[in-house]
Amino acid sequence: MTFRLRTVSTTADGRRIVRDKDLAQDVLTVGRAAESDIHLPDLAVEPNHARISLHASNRVAVEATGSLGFVLDGQTQRSASIDPRTGGELRFGSTRILVGNDSGVVLLTVEPVAEGDDHDDEADGMALAAVLPGKRRLAWILAGLILALFLALPIASNLLRSPDIKQSHVVGDGSWTPGPLSLAHHQLEARCEACHVKPFQSVRNETCMSCHKGVHDHAPETRMSLARAEPGLGGRMLNGVAHAFGKEGPGACVDCHREHEGLAPMAPPSQQFCADCHGSLKDRLTDTRLGNAADFTRLHPQFTPMVMVDPASGLARPVSLDANPHENSGLAFPHRLHLDPRGGVAKMAATLASERGYGQNGLSCNDCHRTTEDGVRFKPIMMERDCEACHSLVYDKIGPTLRKLRHGDLAQAVADLSVAGNTTEPVVTGRARPGAFGANQLYFAQFSRLVGGRLVSSMLGKDGICGECHTPTMKNGQTAIVPVRLPARYMANGWFNHAAHKQTRCTECHAAPASSSSSDLLLPKVAECRTCHVGEQEPGLFAPKGKVPSSCAMCHAYHPTGAAPPLSRHDKH
Amino acid sequence: MASTPAPRGAHTGRKISADHEGFLRHRHFRWLKLAATLCVIAILAYLMVDVQPRPNGGSWLGYILGTIGAGLIVWLSLLGLRKRAMTQGAWSLKAWTSAHVYLGLSLIVVATLHTGFQFGWNVHTLAYVLMMLVIASGVWGIAVYASLPTALSANREELTREQMIEGVRAVDRQLHAAAQPLGREQAELVQAALEEDLFAGGFIARLSGTWRNCSTARAIERFALAGTDDEAASKVEKLLIRRKAQLDRLRRQMRLRALLEVWLFIHIPATIALLAALTAHIVSVFYYW
Repeated sequence: MTFRLRTVSTTADGRRIVRDKDLAQDVLTVGRAAESDIHLPDLAVEPNHARISLHASNRVAVEATGSLGFVLDGQTQRSASIDPRTGGELRFGSTRILVGNDSGVVLLTVEPVAEGDDHDDEADGMALAAVLPGKRRLAWILAGLILALFLALPIASNLLRSPDIKQSHVVGDGSWTPGPLSLAHHQLEARCEACHVKPFQSVRNETCMSCHKGVHDHAPETRMSLARAEPGLGGRMLNGVAHAFGKEGPGACVDCHREHEGLAPMAPPSQQFCADCHGSLKDRLTDTRLGNAADFTRLHPQFTPMVMVDPASGLARPVSLDANPHENSGLAFPHRLHLDPRGGVAKMAATLASERGYGQNGLSCNDCHRTTEDGVRFKPIMMERDCEACHSLVYDKIGPTLRKLRHGDLAQAVADLSVAGNTTEPVVTGRARPGAFGANQLYFAQFSRLVGGRLVSSMLGKDGICGECHTPTMKNGQTAIVPVRLPARYMANGWFNHAAHKQTRCTECHAAPASSSSSDLLLPKVAECRTCHVGEQEPGLFAPKGKVPSSCAMCHAYHPTGAAPPLSRHDKH
Repeated sequence: MASTPAPRGAHTGRKISADHEGFLRHRHFRWLKLAATLCVIAILAYLMVDVQPRPNGGSWLGYILGTIGAGLIVWLSLLGLRKRAMTQGAWSLKAWTSAHVYLGLSLIVVATLHTGFQFGWNVHTLAYVLMMLVIASGVWGIAVYASLPTALSANREELTREQMIEGVRAVDRQLHAAAQPLGREQAELVQAALEEDLFAGGFIARLSGTWRNCSTARAIERFALAGTDDEAASKVEKLLIRRKAQLDRLRRQMRLRALLEVWLFIHIPATIALLAALTAHIVSVFYYW
């Protein structure tokens, strides 16, 4: 049983000296003590550090004999068994002992650890930092890219653009858009500078009005500034920020018309924009005619339609429906006359039903009142179209030809009738059924006998043909009639769309069948509208079911252009 | 006996346990409570304030939330400076870190409400995404710091990093000696294994723990296939297997280290990028407004 001890040392000039020594013993001691078999003069080694022994199984056992262990293949241990054929590397302090096999003999190569071997250059290679660019470098690169692309580039491009808006082209500001423009402004997408003219200056009214030339002010600015309520804390803060950054307003275009809210029609402003002034308008604008309005359900004044007071001159006055006003449109008959299903008119209409399209139960509203093409309102009544089917103005017949009075031209009618006496045949004798005297036929007009000048006066009289609809009057000492003046719009500042209410019968709002006087104003009051319409403010959870949420913009337009209000315009039906 | 020293053990024990309270539990979750209160107030304000036409960052509530958010972001990023100075007390680094974590989490609520849930392909959403990335990486960081060190230390088996590397180097020296009698083909395999960089694995390899093209593994495979009964070759094969075991432990360690450290490589650069995007966001909003 032999150990072969191979000692490797290096001379000062780097030459390696290798000495072999065979030790014919089973156990070798390792230590700093001079009597050790392997003597290691190293303070990191104990005097009796370890014992290396050879076993029968031809394995080498290493045991620490002192209080310190030894290192085998990089790991500190106190005892180990090594197969010399596979080998192992022991380390004691700064000396390395390689266990190996040399032609059947256990070879122990003792070699000092070279200076600098302990300092592994790759010691930090285990950290992730070894394979990634430094955090600081990564940070500066990213931040630099972002600042360059999303800040420096758009600003430089904006500052250096051509002053001519048609030629200008700003690069990179697409990354600034907070959202798509509305449908109306969609063509301005990617042309930010068209509206954002100057840096750090909000979109100005003058910029909006360079295209929107026909826009009128809601009211004189002096009155509007008086009318505005003091905003709440949040509003004051917003105004403060706006003021600090040179924003126009309050009352600037952009205060109500918010852009970049999505590719859709621009949403009409909420009723709060109106209520800010109108909710308590009377407190600040004491001379206003307008009642306070903040929410259709909670605070909205009674309707104030223009009520005709003098049909001859066309004079109309705004009167609240609360005063139960009567109108004087010059009309001679009440609506019930035409709508009573058991009256004579209904019977006549039933007779004419097949020819004229009337219902079997008498006349209905749209037999006389025709809707406009858009369905919003009604066409003015035209005698020839809407009345003459029953109320014929034929007064004479010459051969097959019928002679008619001209409606709307009193002087002509009088002149025509003045010579009517020349005819030899009486027009009609006795009452005949109206069906035979339709628009182009004869109708029994309640003329007296065709005798000289009396004809005219009987025509214009209360029981005459004109008196059926018109009120007789005297004009310049002559008998005359009052024209019937029915307003096309009772409420000029409110928008009512009849088409939107198609599924409702006329009589639910207009009490025409029961109207027994022509002076009845057949308009519904605000309470009737409220049976279906509720203000916008009703919060979601407590919103009444089956009601129509209605903000101001459903009936009112802010800019007095006469156009339909925004909400009504967006209503496709 | 006025000078009798107070008995120490029990008292210091309690004091020590207080000192070891982590930054998450600091002062009975003081900052968690504060941050939660901030979130609740922000959510209530968002629900109660009716911003027209729809919630957005330009309303007065949006300005407030945005200002709070921007202030928080700047303050949170200052931890990078603050952490270099350790102090004790109410404004200790631990208190600061606790606040950093919880106020950082509250940014999820504050900043999301500031957006009014309006997102798009723009610098504003970029800032938001970067912020969420910073927060997510921070959450990841806390999670791995809570769970991975145990695994890291279990894998290490009380070895230092140097010992682990030295272990491989020790096997390498033996391999080099043992491979001397081998033929050219096998010697080349050993040579390739010895030349292999211990830390060769890239970012992906380290995170996933899959190490392709491992020369040691390939050499073991070839030696096994050759099935030689040559003594030198079988010694080399055994050494190669030992090397592989050492290498595996080293690589597991690298993977755990990567998992542990990767969050900072996102957290820090994304924070600086966020500060840049935030600047671009604020300037651009007022440049075009």
